[in-house]
Amino acid sequence: MINKIGLACIIDDDNMYVNLIKKIVEAKSLCHNLMVFKNGRDALNYFEAILTSLDKKTIPEIIFLDLNMPIMDGWEFLENFTKIKNKLGKTITLYIVSSSINPVDIERAKGINSVEDYLVKPVTIEDLESIFLKEV
Amino acid sequence: MLQNELFNNIIRDSNAGYWKLYDNPEREVWSEKFYDNLGYEKEKVTTTIDYFLEHLLHQEDVELFRDNFFNYRCNTVHFRQHIKILTKKGEYKLFRCATNNELPVNIKSEISFIFFIEVKLDPEQNITKDNFYYKETAQMTATGSWYVDFAERKSFWDFETRRILEYPDDYIPSLKDSANYYAEDSRQQAADLFFNCAMVGTPFNTEIKMVTANNRIFWVRAIGKPVYNEDKEIIGIRGVFQDIDEIKRKELRLLKSIDIIASQNSRLFNFAHIVSHNLRSHTSNLSLLVQLIEDIDNPEEKIGLIKEIKQISYSLNTTIEHLNEIVAIHTNKDQQKKAIKFIDAFNLVTNGIGQMIAVSKTKFIIDFSDLEEINYISAYLESILLNLITNAIKYKHPDRDPVIRIRTYVNDDNKYLEISDNGIGIDMQLFKDKIFGMYKTFHYNKDAVGIGLFLTKNQVESLNGKITVDSEVDKGTTFTIEF
Repeated sequence: MINKIGLACIIDDDNMYVNLIKKIVEAKSLCHNLMVFKNGRDALNYFEAILTSLDKKTIPEIIFLDLNMPIMDGWEFLENFTKIKNKLGKTITLYIVSSSINPVDIERAKGINSVEDYLVKPVTIEDLESIFLKEV
Repeated sequence: MLQNELFNNIIRDSNAGYWKLYDNPEREVWSEKFYDNLGYEKEKVTTTIDYFLEHLLHQEDVELFRDNFFNYRCNTVHFRQHIKILTKKGEYKLFRCATNNELPVNIKSEISFIFFIEVKLDPEQNITKDNFYYKETAQMTATGSWYVDFAERKSFWDFETRRILEYPDDYIPSLKDSANYYAEDSRQQAADLFFNCAMVGTPFNTEIKMVTANNRIFWVRAIGKPVYNEDKEIIGIRGVFQDIDEIKRKELRLLKSIDIIASQNSRLFNFAHIVSHNLRSHTSNLSLLVQLIEDIDNPEEKIGLIKEIKQISYSLNTTIEHLNEIVAIHTNKDQQKKAIKFIDAFNLVTNGIGQMIAVSKTKFIIDFSDLEEINYISAYLESILLNLITNAIKYKHPDRDPVIRIRTYVNDDNKYLEISDNGIGIDMQLFKDKIFGMYKTFHYNKDAVGIGLFLTKNQVESLNGKITVDSEVDKGTTFTIEF
């Protein structure tokens, strides 16, 4: 069996989008496990909780983060996540995946260190494949 | 001999008489104009300093002039002084006399001169003429002058200041009540300006609202600067008031329309953004789905995926409906406004959601006594009430039944509607900027769509109103609408 990513994480409130990504990941067998959070708050709660256990298996290698979400949006998540990510003891690659084509958003995202890249929805299956393969 | 042409010209053109001082032999030559000015004929006077001091110079000036003259002659100490000289007619004329270096022009001459320039006291005629121009200028530009005298504790106004402030010609301005000359909301500004000018000498040049004798409020440009005495103490303030009411009002109207245009523009831009963003999320899902359908070989799975298209189509329709509602607000805003009683709108709305109110055991405390009705688009007022009331019920506190207070009031000529609840509240620090955004929800509530407050805000703003919110978590939320 080829090497592939153990755990990927999607933070997005769009059910349809999440379902489709799940299907692609399954069909292409891109990673072993995929976790989904509906908003930044849920995701942040999770990361803060695993700070105490630090079981590497529970920390995703890759995060796809939406910007526009209820309760806690992507920006606020990023702000908090940047503060704790070094304590997780594992390299996490974070992609912003948003339907916003506002240049202000794109510039702002590129100015944040923990952001690997800014992907504008719709993403293509090829994009996803190459991102997952790069991380292996 | 005169040494340069500039000097020559000055001597020729000016009306000044002069003495040329020669060393060898020691003598003074008096110029023609010097005699002419005094009315003497050359032969009748002796052109010596002694004769001058004894017969022509006024006694009061003799001592100082003699000192100055000999100092100049012997030690080349330049001087300048006023002297009175006796004329042929037996009167004294006032002269300013000065030596080369003391003249206001830069001239070089190897010969020593003393110039005698007659000081003309402004004849009556000239004063009247100046006064005429001054009055014309004041009237044509609606600019009145004034002076505040600190020593005498008095204000002085000229005729034009009285005119623009609509006071009679014999009106005597009062320093004590000077605040009353300014509009109420400009008094602090006026006090600050005059205080700073009087204490520190800061001049001012500003636009301020004043009140006329007839209680008309109007705009003036007020310019003032400190007046100093010889000891550099500030002894008064001198300045002008210019009536700029018409221009200022035009400017304010213009500023207001710029504000309106800017806010409309920003709403349009915002709307374009919303349309783009909201449609994109569906189209990108659609595009992802199509890719997946093409990519998958299993026919059964393909059919399963095709069913998803239905879901996307449904979401797309919902979004379009929401966008339609927003567009409707902007096209409806020209709809006929009419007087609506708040109580009627309230009854209509609460009847429509009677079930929801009954189930949630919601209590209302309403008071429309201060402002019973408003000129508004009835559909908007109902929609605003409906949105805010249903929000208050949706986000009720789990530990208590909802109590919604609705009241109207008037403050400073502005009309307000206030709706407050005892619900779970919103964390203002986190969500202050987002409350009225589209598709923003702040609670884990299944019904939350995030369109209601966005529409409410658009409705209020399309009729040039404002909506604000104040909230405290666990205490409740208050929305205030300024019509």
